[in-house]
Amino acid sequence: MPFASGYFRTSYARDMRLVDTRAQVASLALFLLAAAAFPLLASSFLLDLANQFFLAAIGAVALMLLTGYAGLISLGHAGLLAAGAFTVGILFKEVAAPFWITLPAAAVAGALLGVIFGLPSLRLRGLYLAVSTLALHFVVVYLGGEYETKRGFSTGIVIDPPTLGDFVVTDPHVWYFVLLVAAAGTVWLSLNLLRGKTGRAWRAIRDHETVAEALGINVPAHKLAAFVVSSTLTAVAGALFAYYRGFVSVEAFSLFLSIQYVAMVIIGGMGSILGALLGAAFVTLFPYVIEYLLGVLPVPAAFTNQMFAVNYAAFGLAMALFLVFEPGGLVAIWRRLRNWFVLWPFKQRPLAVTRR
Amino acid sequence: MQLLVNIIVLASIYALIACGYVLIYRTSRVLNLAHGELMMLAAYVLVATASLFAGHPVVALAAAALLGLVVGALVYVALMRRLTGEGVLAAVLATVALGVLLRGVIVLFWSGQQRYPIESLGWSNPTITLIGDARISTASATLVLTTFVVYAGLLLFLRFTRWGVRMRAAGQNPLLAAQRGIRLHGIYAAAWGLSTFTGGLAGILLAIDAGLTQTMAVIGLKAFPAALVGGLDSLLGAALGALIVAVAEVLLIYYVDPLLAEVVPFLVLIAMLIVRPWGLFGTREELDRV
Amino acid sequence: MSEPLLQLEKVEVAYHRVVTAVQGISLHVAPRQIVALLGTNGAGKTTTLRAVSGFLGLDDARVTEGAVIYRGERIENRAPHEITARGVVLVPERDKVFPNLTVAENLIANVPRRRGAGATKRRSELAYEYFPKLAELRGREAGYLSGGERQMLAIGAALACGPELLLVDELSLGLAPLVVYDLTQRLRRIRDEQGIAVLLVEQNAGVALRTADYAYVLENGRMVLDGDPERLAAHEDIQEFYLGQSRGERRSYREVKQYRRSRRWYG
Repeated sequence: MPFASGYFRTSYARDMRLVDTRAQVASLALFLLAAAAFPLLASSFLLDLANQFFLAAIGAVALMLLTGYAGLISLGHAGLLAAGAFTVGILFKEVAAPFWITLPAAAVAGALLGVIFGLPSLRLRGLYLAVSTLALHFVVVYLGGEYETKRGFSTGIVIDPPTLGDFVVTDPHVWYFVLLVAAAGTVWLSLNLLRGKTGRAWRAIRDHETVAEALGINVPAHKLAAFVVSSTLTAVAGALFAYYRGFVSVEAFSLFLSIQYVAMVIIGGMGSILGALLGAAFVTLFPYVIEYLLGVLPVPAAFTNQMFAVNYAAFGLAMALFLVFEPGGLVAIWRRLRNWFVLWPFKQRPLAVTRR
Repeated sequence: MQLLVNIIVLASIYALIACGYVLIYRTSRVLNLAHGELMMLAAYVLVATASLFAGHPVVALAAAALLGLVVGALVYVALMRRLTGEGVLAAVLATVALGVLLRGVIVLFWSGQQRYPIESLGWSNPTITLIGDARISTASATLVLTTFVVYAGLLLFLRFTRWGVRMRAAGQNPLLAAQRGIRLHGIYAAAWGLSTFTGGLAGILLAIDAGLTQTMAVIGLKAFPAALVGGLDSLLGAALGALIVAVAEVLLIYYVDPLLAEVVPFLVLIAMLIVRPWGLFGTREELDRV
Repeated sequence: MSEPLLQLEKVEVAYHRVVTAVQGISLHVAPRQIVALLGTNGAGKTTTLRAVSGFLGLDDARVTEGAVIYRGERIENRAPHEITARGVVLVPERDKVFPNLTVAENLIANVPRRRGAGATKRRSELAYEYFPKLAELRGREAGYLSGGERQMLAIGAALACGPELLLVDELSLGLAPLVVYDLTQRLRRIRDEQGIAVLLVEQNAGVALRTADYAYVLENGRMVLDGDPERLAAHEDIQEFYLGQSRGERRSYREVKQYRRSRRWYG
């Protein structure tokens, strides 16, 4: 954040603080206030939208840690979400486990799967690693499908909402706060990881692996750690998703879902938690924006009948446009805008960024 | 015996599709994950040309195949060329985005219902009986033959013609190739066009044989492990990889579980990545960024 | 005096928009002339050659000031294949051949200037004529050639492009003196018989001054001296810093540590 003037750090501790200046504290307080007030003012449609955003944000932040910071490409994100969701579904159906067992179990399943997804990263890089995660995604989804067919839930598993004593969590307002806390917790956890040794090690590995190894960073351990942290968070997101929808089915975890999460990271902007959040917001709101546009613009009737196809096409187009014209993502746009205001009347001409 | 025929047919399908992946990877080090969708596009274009050139099925076929080539070159010129210097991952994600876009567009224009272009072409697809009571449809037999012809043509082209040598040179060292007068953008566009052409042939023949729905792109993705198992920059490797994956898939479906069809190629892929990531005949590269 | 074939006027090259590699480079090459560009590591010689032969997008480099003029036409910041098509061909320092192609395939991989049936073949024959060793190695993969053979192949492949101006980067690097002598003799023959001008970049000042008709000296991205080989060889600073000759006295290492003589380029 470029400060126009007068911001001097006097200790390392202050440098590492998440919120430091008075302005930052004030804006955080305002933001929390707005977040708390939102459910009181919003319609149930907007509330559901916000809940979807929170769920997506957890997954997006997790993927950002893995891909944006540690530089390990993963195309198998939907498989990890499916793992979390199916852990909840299986435990619920087989042993009627309550949520305070299934959620940690989903986290453990995610961690284990993270180790499996992460093992190829010790030998492979870049393209080949992406391909291995893709293959593993198909395997996980296949196993989920196998369970569904073999146990007779071919249309999917219905799950009861989580209960706390007599209190059943069904109201979207309650879900809002649950998911807000979960998303905020994820962001806070990630920021803490990133400003510590682990985050610095990940950045070093992403930028130049050989040099990182030469500097004494335990590269294999940190790569696996990145996968494990990311998958645990993602599996928890999948579990929450299962409870929120009350329904688990393997069709929801398609390759397109993986692509959507990768798009969140790319469109948001690689290497930035804010980017993950912006990307998650973009992708969550995208189908609704398209639907609105179709209602407003004069398009042939065939289009409105094929909402899904229009969504697909528009999404692919948006992703391609971002890749070609704005590889830095929404974050880059935001930063340019902000710098224009902060640095006015001076202009900032961006230098060439070293490409990875 | 029927098993053997099934294996050969499936291997030919995978091989014909896989050579498209290899062509693009070998020339420009990019993984074209939209290959399945491009292949499907060519098949849908056949539906259009079949009704356009009603009464001239061969013309319709040729038109569809050639349009496939043009689309491939166009994809390079309009999209991939703008990503030069960005790094391989951006290019691969761009192909993913393209694939998604194409899927949407295809359903928008042709709807999701099943099509049978063979009817529009006015042809029939009788079953041929081979020795040992094994049966194969005419379209499948044509596909096997086409795969052989395509591979022979490509191998001869790359090995013995001037432009084939230039294509290989551009794949090895783009800077040196440019310094020797080779227009890189032209070579890449040609590679994309060729790749979509061969993929389009596969899509068209598959559509003639078994009908056409929007799930055909999945076969395209299943053929990718065949390319990788053989080595992403080796044509012969792709053929061998296709054979290996086909053998695994057919045998496992027959003896173990039919539902495995979707996932077997990826299991083979994982196994190969563990044992020998650069494939059977691939050049052992840094496996790093471009 | 005839119009120079190649002219660089105050050329400045920047990498990544921020790192200036060379500045204020001016030189010219007349037709049929062999011009040498001398300098130590990192002086900017390769960058100068690349400025003439063209950068790719991957390099993220640009000629930010000045002009490169070939036959009266400005050719800076063009794609490499366009420059090769105009008759300026580079023999690079590293990656000078296609390692997985055979020698014969390397020679036909280029796109010759004069099209027409047999043009490529004719130019390949030219390469075999000047480097008979290559004809014996026709079928061998270029990656398996020795250093000298590889350099021969690189020059031969450059010849096959039909150049009027040859840019040679580090001819002698990693080669035995006898091989270097042989190559420089062949280079002179090519210049005499084919009428091709040569811009030769060399770290080995002795080789450069023996082969060239004119020489420039580069240091830290700037041109510091130029002249005939005789004049340069007689120059004290060249003798001291490039030819390794002290002024006759034997110097002990004890003195070298305190020794700090500035270079006087005005002599």
